[in-house]
Amino acid sequence: MKRIRVALAGNPNVGKSVIFNALTGGRQHVGNWPGKTIEKKEGICYHRGYELYIVDLPGIYSLTTFSPEELIARDYILNEKPDVVVNIVDASNLRRNLYLSIQLMELGARLIIALNKSDLAESLGYEIDEKRLEKNLGVPVVPTVATRKIGLQELCDKIVEVVERGAPPSSITYPEIVEAEIERIRKVLEKDPMIRESYNTRWLAIKLLEGDEEAERRILAKLKGG
Amino acid sequence: MEELRKVLNEAKNRLIESFGLEPDVLLPDIRYRVIEEIVSTSIIREKVELTLTDVIDDAILNKYLGIPVFLSLAWMMFQFTFSVAAPIVDAVDMFFSWIGEIIGEYISNSFLASFLADGIVGGLGTILVFVPNIFFLFLALSALEDSGYLARVAFIFDRLMRKFRLSGRSIIPHLIGFGCNVPGVMATRTIAGENERILTAITNPLISCSARLPVYVLFAGVFFPDNSPTIIFSLYMLGIVLAFLISFVVGRFFLKGKPSPLIMELPEYSMPETRTLLMHMWERGIMFVKKAGTVILAGVIAIWALSNLPLGVKSVEESYLGILGHIMEPLFKPFGWDWRIAVSIVFGFVAKEIVVGALGMIYGVEEEALEHVISQTMTPLSAYAFMTFVLIYVPCVATLAAIKGELGWKWAIFSAIYEVILAYLVALMIMVIGGVMLS
Repeated sequence: MKRIRVALAGNPNVGKSVIFNALTGGRQHVGNWPGKTIEKKEGICYHRGYELYIVDLPGIYSLTTFSPEELIARDYILNEKPDVVVNIVDASNLRRNLYLSIQLMELGARLIIALNKSDLAESLGYEIDEKRLEKNLGVPVVPTVATRKIGLQELCDKIVEVVERGAPPSSITYPEIVEAEIERIRKVLEKDPMIRESYNTRWLAIKLLEGDEEAERRILAKLKGG
Repeated sequence: MEELRKVLNEAKNRLIESFGLEPDVLLPDIRYRVIEEIVSTSIIREKVELTLTDVIDDAILNKYLGIPVFLSLAWMMFQFTFSVAAPIVDAVDMFFSWIGEIIGEYISNSFLASFLADGIVGGLGTILVFVPNIFFLFLALSALEDSGYLARVAFIFDRLMRKFRLSGRSIIPHLIGFGCNVPGVMATRTIAGENERILTAITNPLISCSARLPVYVLFAGVFFPDNSPTIIFSLYMLGIVLAFLISFVVGRFFLKGKPSPLIMELPEYSMPETRTLLMHMWERGIMFVKKAGTVILAGVIAIWALSNLPLGVKSVEESYLGILGHIMEPLFKPFGWDWRIAVSIVFGFVAKEIVVGALGMIYGVEEEALEHVISQTMTPLSAYAFMTFVLIYVPCVATLAAIKGELGWKWAIFSAIYEVILAYLVALMIMVIGGVMLS
């Protein structure tokens, strides 16, 4: 059976655990992330002849390196390179949630957005055009109501479809001047074969530009460690 | 690597030139703008109704109203803690005096009677009378927490805290510190930035914990009977101001690195449940009582021993305690404290409440009479200097251990040293400035 590695990412309190439990049922394992006291949950779900191996990443608001939770999520996506990252988004709080989505896209993750709590959003008076959102973001969007198991089949369908199609990861475009600088830095990074092979150089270039210390450390380690 | 550095620097400079913003601000800014565009074109209809939480937050999170509202709530909390608890404190006080009398009457062995009446009942009693105050403080804190207000305090103070190299999140460990600095220091774990975490932990002991309360209640009650809640409030405020100042100085001159942003979720306001409130109050308050039964009891016994040894001493003045007091006295002459007051602070290192127990034992009296004796030995100004000294000087052993646990020996020792120096300087300033103002 073919295996698809899926990571669940999202802000705290968006219903991530509910989705994880609904998908994996009793087939899950709870442990700790290596060297940390932060819970790591993994589980398995079978869908259309695939085995979906699902890892529940810690709930986070962004992908900087200020907290161990953010670092775990970021390192997992960078090092383990899951086939698909399902980003669970609270439909009633779109702006805040999408900040993480954009950073996940930038990281080079192949993203699917689960627009969760769509019932709550509706009752609060929101109406979201999912097709438009999908087009604007360049990422598949699946509406879900995790607590009532609505949309989970569609979510699994989308995971399989995205992998079968081999859809390329999407990213946002910065203004031209910024893009030019990112490109210049990326070219320098590409010269090093070690870095080229291990990282998404566009992401690395953006992070270096932002002065991200962890990104700098990674480069130094690669250059020294060979 | 050299080439990369060069390209990066050029890129940063060019971006600053074009946009007037550092790249670490510029890029997130662009991301937010992209999101705004995506959201505004994909949302057909947005929430229009305001919830009650939105309305309250409009006032409470207001740039100008936020801090005044917090200060009034905090002041109300102290009024509640001291005024409402006062009759209960009196009742507990009477109870301990009564026990002391009974022991004196029924135990004939004078050494044993002294150990029980002066040592255990006198020492512990002087501290336990403050249990009602501490329970009421925890009740008020729990009410603020459960209503959802405390989470907002972090947000209100973030702008201000940043100026002092702290984060809005530092306010939570500091608020916990009002109860006890040990959980306060441990709560700094939730602060994201390394520097903010260090600064919050080492300034946490300046936040006046409930163990200082017995000292304040005693001295403020004796020397400022008409406005003791206000005097006590001023000490809490002094602690906060000093925590900010120290944080700024240490952050500015001893630490390197960039501040980290504050992102947090504000819960909806809700009516606190009485049952949960009482449970919180009980859980936290009982910790104080347990401490009284262990650490403080041991400290009190040690003081009793020191004040009655070597065997056969006729007065405390001849005992080891008295000898130590006389050695320390010259150091505290400028503050107008005699040897008894000076030696009492030594024991605050074990736990600050013990200062009161030690005074009770040194004067060989219980709470009620202690108030009378103390009022004879110093001026109100000296008493205020004493309260500030107790507020600031060395964290207690347990707090030091907590700082060591979170940050290592280096910072624990640093905290102890800077606080002793700071305590001495502030007390001295109070004597000098107060002396000039009063004359």
